[in-house]
Amino acid sequence: MNGWLLAAAVVLAGGVGATLWGVATGPLRRRVVAQNLSSALACPILLLLSQGYDRPSYVDLALVLALLGPVGTLVFARLLADELAGDPPRAWGATWAAAGVGAGVVLALCAATAPGRATVKLLLTGALLIGGNVVASRALAGGFRGVRRG
Amino acid sequence: MRPRTALPVLGEYLAWWTALALLWLVLVSTVDVLELVVGAGTAALAALAARAARRAVTGR
Repeated sequence: MNGWLLAAAVVLAGGVGATLWGVATGPLRRRVVAQNLSSALACPILLLLSQGYDRPSYVDLALVLALLGPVGTLVFARLLADELAGDPPRAWGATWAAAGVGAGVVLALCAATAPGRATVKLLLTGALLIGGNVVASRALAGGFRGVRRG
Repeated sequence: MRPRTALPVLGEYLAWWTALALLWLVLVSTVDVLELVVGAGTAALAALAARAARRAVTGR
């Protein structure tokens, strides 16, 4: 057990545990936000595990999750648009908190690895993670109402 | 296609190809000749798709 694995365990138990509870209980507007946040937190966990176990291939999983997690949320936002229109979820505090976790993990890993192509890959993963989740949160909050029927 | 329109089209295609080939180069684990060849070919196909998607979004 090293510090990276400990951090991954803390984020897994605290963050993903809380989002699983949010997905399983409560009204729809809370469930979709929690579903979005679960992928936003699982991605930094995979990055931490890749460093903790010294397996760079785990970064690929994080990259794919950073790309596909927000896409999945956009599908939910589209399919549930009518249900969410009356009472749209606004969870910017939680969204930016998850983005902060992602940014902190990416910056810590960048500091720990030697500068090079791996650093660029990490920064790309972080940019996809944060950008994707901000876009997905905005879509859930009804920010793209104009293109709904597009 | 007239020469006046062919040049911007070629320029945009080459810009997409360069960006996508660099992306491939950053994401592969080991850099060797085979990876470079496959990356160049994949970037050539993806640049076609990227330009088509850009035209579909902007409508031009």
